[in-house]
Amino acid sequence: MPPSEAAPGARRVQLMGTCLCDAFFDDVAAATVEVLEYLGCEVIFPPGQTCCGQPAFNAGDWPASRRVVRHCVDTFAGDCPVVAPSGSCAAMLFHGAQLEFEGEPDRPAVEALGRRTRELGDFIVNGLGTRAWPGRYEARVAFHHSCHTRGTASGAAARSLLGSIEGLTLVEFGEGEQCCGFGGTFSVGFPHISSAMGGLKLSHVRAAAPDELVSGDMSCLMHLGGLAEKGGAPIRTRHLAQVLRDALAGAGPAGIGGAA
Amino acid sequence: MAEAEAPAAMNPREAILSRVRGALAPLGARAPLPETASQGSPASGDPKAEFASRLRLAGGELLSSPGEIPGRLAAGGWTRGYCDPSLWPALGPVFGRGFVVEREFDQGRLDDYEFGITRAAGAIAETGTIIINDALTSRRLAALAPWVHIAVLRRCDILATLPEAIAALGGDPNVIWCTGPSKTADVEGILIQGVHGPGVQIALVL
Amino acid sequence: MRFQPIDRAAARLGAAERASVRGGAKSGHEKRTSLLFGDFGDPDALRRLAGGIRQHAVENLDSYLPAAEARMEANGVRVHWAPTAADACAAVLGILRARGATRLVKAKTMLSEEIGLGEFLGRHGIESLETDLGEFIVQLDGDHPSHIIKPILHKNRAQIAASFERHGVGPYDEDPEAITRAARRFLRHKYMAADAGLTGANFVVAESGRVVIVTNEGNSRFCLAATRCHIVLVGIEKIVPRDRDLALLLNLLARSATAQQLTVYTEFVSGPKAAAQPDGPEEMHVVFVDNGRTEVLAGDCREILRCIRCGACLNVCPVYRQAGGHAYRSVYPGPIGAVLSPLLLGEGFAGKADLPKASSLCGACHEVCPVDIPIPDLLLRLRARAGREGVPSPGVPPFGAWSILASRPAAWRAALAAGKLLDHLPAGLLPIPALRAWEGTRTLPRWRGGEFRKWLKRRRRRP
Repeated sequence: MPPSEAAPGARRVQLMGTCLCDAFFDDVAAATVEVLEYLGCEVIFPPGQTCCGQPAFNAGDWPASRRVVRHCVDTFAGDCPVVAPSGSCAAMLFHGAQLEFEGEPDRPAVEALGRRTRELGDFIVNGLGTRAWPGRYEARVAFHHSCHTRGTASGAAARSLLGSIEGLTLVEFGEGEQCCGFGGTFSVGFPHISSAMGGLKLSHVRAAAPDELVSGDMSCLMHLGGLAEKGGAPIRTRHLAQVLRDALAGAGPAGIGGAA
Repeated sequence: MAEAEAPAAMNPREAILSRVRGALAPLGARAPLPETASQGSPASGDPKAEFASRLRLAGGELLSSPGEIPGRLAAGGWTRGYCDPSLWPALGPVFGRGFVVEREFDQGRLDDYEFGITRAAGAIAETGTIIINDALTSRRLAALAPWVHIAVLRRCDILATLPEAIAALGGDPNVIWCTGPSKTADVEGILIQGVHGPGVQIALVL
Repeated sequence: MRFQPIDRAAARLGAAERASVRGGAKSGHEKRTSLLFGDFGDPDALRRLAGGIRQHAVENLDSYLPAAEARMEANGVRVHWAPTAADACAAVLGILRARGATRLVKAKTMLSEEIGLGEFLGRHGIESLETDLGEFIVQLDGDHPSHIIKPILHKNRAQIAASFERHGVGPYDEDPEAITRAARRFLRHKYMAADAGLTGANFVVAESGRVVIVTNEGNSRFCLAATRCHIVLVGIEKIVPRDRDLALLLNLLARSATAQQLTVYTEFVSGPKAAAQPDGPEEMHVVFVDNGRTEVLAGDCREILRCIRCGACLNVCPVYRQAGGHAYRSVYPGPIGAVLSPLLLGEGFAGKADLPKASSLCGACHEVCPVDIPIPDLLLRLRARAGREGVPSPGVPPFGAWSILASRPAAWRAALAAGKLLDHLPAGLLPIPALRAWEGTRTLPRWRGGEFRKWLKRRRRRP
């Protein structure tokens, strides 16, 4: 049951759109807004936001990364949840940033931001208590768990949402636990291995014959989708937020607010 | 980047230990030692039966009376071997003609022994493991070099779980847990039994 | 565009070898997982518990090492201390020379490779023979192991058969059983002719002074049954506090390494042979080796010292599966090697600083580690160290300018708008090397910078 219908003040969240969506995947960020508002959230988009700082962090340029994380702390000031349509960006703030701020004087502020930051699927299911998703989405869907969701509730949350959608069939594929090969700068520093890993993942996915490949992270989908297209055999990729939004379009009035 | 060199006069032991102390000095509290609850599966029913089934899973074999030995050895074509002299009064009578069983192990003729029969200290039921040690093994080589090893143990010495077996290690300088015949999978990951140790591991449980 | 050595190595890896590595690693991982989850209700809780025990041991080496030494000496063991690799080699040589020994048989120990013991002993007139089948084959070929548990993961039966024929171990026969029997026959008499046996130790128990050695082949047992002198070569970090802590570690070790409940032989050695035992060593020596471990202990990657050398991280690692073990140019390959090798191996950090970068940080290694080492965090710390020390990183873009852009919202928004120009440039002319590298194997999505923000503005204006 979306909380907005019960509570007088709608649940406020700050949206971290992610730099990838800012640059390439505007529809994913838009779908995220639509989905959160459907669930009764008041979605604030702090316009000064840029990036979570992960690319520099992974590359080992921690001073550069810290500069960007500090900008996040300023941009997302407040105490409401910060929601990102990306397990990778969320993990940067609640885990990665904690490593690079060890011994830094403003570590408490960075820790505080990390504690408020949630990946979208995890927020929908475990933050808002959504048990099932209404509407309809006719498709065989292969779901890819991004590696940054290891050890978090995000993968299970996304699967439970997708699995509950009428018309949607989740299909399994081999070696699901293996990384897609993106890894941020790894994808350009180690192009051979990165492409080989992606190619392996694609062959497993194709063997399951899905209609589309869905994930909670555009980084993985950008890599896999880009590889597939370059290789002459494109696959359709969708972000979790897009599937959830598009399912709603098939929902009649009776479908809204239905919980399992 | 490098740690300060230990003073030349310091002996190697002090050099290492002083570096260890120096490395650990900045730590506030040290990581505590967690308590380990037993993780062995609860002992279920008859230890000998569980031991037998696990032993077989590991590629070993079980015999329950001395009378079974000659038939098993003959079936493999093994007729020459060694037996611990202290076991001979109990086992000797079952060996008829056709077997040559020495009670002294001549390590100059290693290849002459197709089987070796020695005492075991006990067993572990949950893993199918035979426990041998220096005190009860008449010759280490006799339990190791021949293709067939028969370990003789008493049913009452079968322990249920691995933690119990650890608790029972005692003061023997060389306790060995043997779980099946020797193995390797180094060649293309294919499991082959019988490498340097026995290729046939038998437990005789009396 | 310069690329990383490990990426180049992966590109050059032959198809047959890649298939062997990938197949072997994948099978090892799947069997490990199936056994652990079949045998235990919550294997991940056990891994964390084991990690806690080993972390505690590492953080209390200042009391556990002297305690282990005292017990060992009371048990009749001679304890030696080797601050460097050279000291360790010299200690082993000293022990052998004192006995007039010239022939050594060795069970498998990665530490002996780390310190270059075989070569050193060879230069000093000691014949040192590997007895573990995989290491024996590696030694015959003058090759290097490619996996810490399965040293010849990269070889197939034909290569081994040819090698055996070349070196007079046996006639050409590709059958794995025949290969194994040939090695058994050949090595049997080498044991009996040897003067001393050298092993490693999987664990050293402080409370009892026991040294624990796990094997499947029986080679370590043979070293200790056929010779009169036992030398244990062990890193100072292999300490376990109490005998009872072994139960959990042994339960996890073999399942993680070779998907067995226990390896075939688990030896608990606490001293020279019993007086009444005719066979075995009259002398037992333990050489505790530092060789950089105290530096690791002092640094920010000390969790790596928990490692019990099971190899599970190698088996699950997608990068290891693509590149193979030799690509890491080190005794320790794979995820464990990516942390240990830059820290421990002689040529210094910069020479191996590319190893921690050869990772997509997927975290699969952490998930399978029986002692719960947070390897990705350690890789990141090493990358940060490389950044501080100015170690170059080919193929990885610099981030200083980017971070300024990403902390100035107006500049960022301007860049979002300007990025549209990228869509009009052919791939080869993209101004950013990283984007050119991307375009080599993947298409870039269309630039949509600023579009979401415009959409949101429109949405907010609606009644």
